Amino acid sequence: MTRSSAAPPARSATGRPVLRFFSGLSIRLLAFNLLLVFLPAFGVLLLGTYEQQLLVSQERAMVQQARILAAALAESGPIERESAQRILVNLAQRQDARLRVIGPEFDLLADSSSFGPRIDEPPTAAEPDPGVRDNLLYRLGNLLYGVYARAFLPPEPPTRTPGLFATESKLVLQEVEEALQGGYGANMRRSPGGQRSLTMYSALPIRSDGEVVGAVLVSKSTYQILGALYELRLAVFQVILLSVTAAVVLSLLLSTTIARPISKLRQQAQAILDRRGRLTGRFKVYRRQDEIGDLSRALAELTRRLEGHLSFIESFASDVSHELKNPLASIRTAAELLAEVEEPHQRARFRGMIQRDIARLERLLSGVREVSQIDARLEQQPVEAVDLEPLLRSLAEAYGLRPNGVAYRLQVPQRAVTVVASPDRLIQVLENLLDNATGFSPEGGEVELSLVVEGADAVVRVRDRGPGIPVEHLEKIFHRFFSYRESRRDGHTGLGLSIVKAIVEGYGGSVQARNRDGGGAELGVRLPLVD
Amino acid sequence: MSGTSANGPEKGTIALVDDEENLRETVGYALRREGYRVDAYPDGQAAWEALERDPADVVVLDVMMPRMDGLELCRRLRAQSESLPIIFLTSRDEEFDRVLGLELGADDYLCKPFSMRELVARVKVLFRRLALDRRPRQGDDADKLIEVGHLTLDLQRYTAHWKQHPVQLTVTEFLILDALARHPGHVKSRQQLIQDGYPHDTYVSDRTIDSHIKRLRRKLADVDEGFDGIETVYGLGYRYRQP
Repeated sequence: MTRSSAAPPARSATGRPVLRFFSGLSIRLLAFNLLLVFLPAFGVLLLGTYEQQLLVSQERAMVQQARILAAALAESGPIERESAQRILVNLAQRQDARLRVIGPEFDLLADSSSFGPRIDEPPTAAEPDPGVRDNLLYRLGNLLYGVYARAFLPPEPPTRTPGLFATESKLVLQEVEEALQGGYGANMRRSPGGQRSLTMYSALPIRSDGEVVGAVLVSKSTYQILGALYELRLAVFQVILLSVTAAVVLSLLLSTTIARPISKLRQQAQAILDRRGRLTGRFKVYRRQDEIGDLSRALAELTRRLEGHLSFIESFASDVSHELKNPLASIRTAAELLAEVEEPHQRARFRGMIQRDIARLERLLSGVREVSQIDARLEQQPVEAVDLEPLLRSLAEAYGLRPNGVAYRLQVPQRAVTVVASPDRLIQVLENLLDNATGFSPEGGEVELSLVVEGADAVVRVRDRGPGIPVEHLEKIFHRFFSYRESRRDGHTGLGLSIVKAIVEGYGGSVQARNRDGGGAELGVRLPLVD
Repeated sequence: MSGTSANGPEKGTIALVDDEENLRETVGYALRREGYRVDAYPDGQAAWEALERDPADVVVLDVMMPRMDGLELCRRLRAQSESLPIIFLTSRDEEFDRVLGLELGADDYLCKPFSMRELVARVKVLFRRLALDRRPRQGDDADKLIEVGHLTLDLQRYTAHWKQHPVQLTVTEFLILDALARHPGHVKSRQQLIQDGYPHDTYVSDRTIDSHIKRLRRKLADVDEGFDGIETVYGLGYRYRQP
């Protein structure tokens, strides 16, 4: 077996390079290819039927000849040796079978083989030499040789031994006897001289005035049939040999293009996680535009997203612990001071600080829970077509009633602007945006809430006249726990805008932030409209 | 921003930089109670703008802050003054490692949530160091020296020397080394070292001690390559090798 030079250096751990090279898939490919190749081989089995048909048609031809001969001889009553020979000479020129005319007492009257070298033989079966053949080794070798010879050696034409042309005066054969009794005699014997071919015998009675006056014996070797079959077999064998070679080559090709890339991917998949289950590498992306290329790309994408998710979880946990530590530190220091300080107004101050920080911890924890559950909730909560216009209107009204010293202005189109989402989540998004804008608004400021249709999107914008966002933080304000305020006001966890982003992106939308002309920030949410 | 001391003359000025308003308030209150002047700043930028003109005696710094973070501020302050004592307040383990790894020359670190008394004690140590550095060495200083083999520890200045070479240690590192070297051959558990290193704080993790030990070994090895005075006793803790 030729091993491709592109074969990978076999991993020493397995130590079975050949088996590795012919991985399960490769072997299966090879098996299927060989199966296809061997289908024609089953045709060889049909050769038996074919042989049968050839034999039948040969027998028919022989009977036909016998009939003609019998008819020719039947005219003149008892058969004359000379006339029989004359007729035979005439006939035999065009016959390839051996024709014999036999008298009523089994005496041979005429024999076509006596006129010239005919490819035929006397009916005597060649007796094997019994001495040597008892030897077991000889018999085994003979058996093997026989199998080989039957399959691969062309049948030889009957040798012209002197005995072949010897004419015996009496031909007491079963088929002749049947013919002399008025029936049709047929027989088949092994050709003499160690031949593999058989000789077919057909005997027909010669009738003269209703009486059997003799018999015609037609004999012909099956050599020609065997020869034809042999050539067929040889051709089939050659085809099989070529096909097997082709199948092996094809399988190797398929293996290098299918099985090996797959097994490489498997190796990468195994190597990509270390013992602690952490991602340590990436999948190599195949450029090929087929299923394996797709698979490698899908795997690379899978690991990329897994990596993102893992790092999200890791950084989320670290962010959360970081965020928890600040209020904790504040509580601890305040509690320590509370134990040492006597002045009532200072004690009240530290107590209030502790209470505020505890409330902050609670808010933080519920925010964290919310963030970690957004994806699950988005999936659970049924979406529906929601008209944003009345939603915004009612929210603006509700916020306007709050005594927070901020005015709310609403700009909505006079038409339905429908998106597909869960109304609860949408309200959460809008509330977070409004809370954010309210938190930044100066006393007596105005928050604008607008809704416009841009292309295939509904865009909600919330604008305030607060301090605006430093340019370098425009991207970051949607990150969780990110805060650019100098000090955190009550209720602010740094999670609100990250929740907005997660929900909006969950609905196929996007978020933007920019600074307004004349000061203040504008946060926008873009959601795809219902078709 | 500036606070004035309620009781008596000011002992010195502390710059407190943290974006946590409540922490600024509590820490500021506690330090002022000790007689220090405390200037509190909400971010590194604000602190830098003020300290660039009017340096403080000691700086207490948060790491994560908006605008300019504590590491950058530390770098700038160090560029201005080599000897300015700086204490870091960190809230993430990663931050802690980063601060240690950056070799910014900070004089101490405390992890949030820290003990107020611990912080106040550290600040006092730094001020004492500062005061001792400013006056010439006197005779009674010798009483406060501990010598273990090649190691000399100055308990007043919180300074260490190895074979006469000074080793720059943080206060915590000094306290841990002191605890180990005082009883050579005795194993100290991590819990004991926490008590020695952070006398007023009980919320310190074992891992923190390991970090400090690692750091101590490195600092001593920087001075003397062959230093192997601190042994790890698996399952128990650490031990100072008998000289």
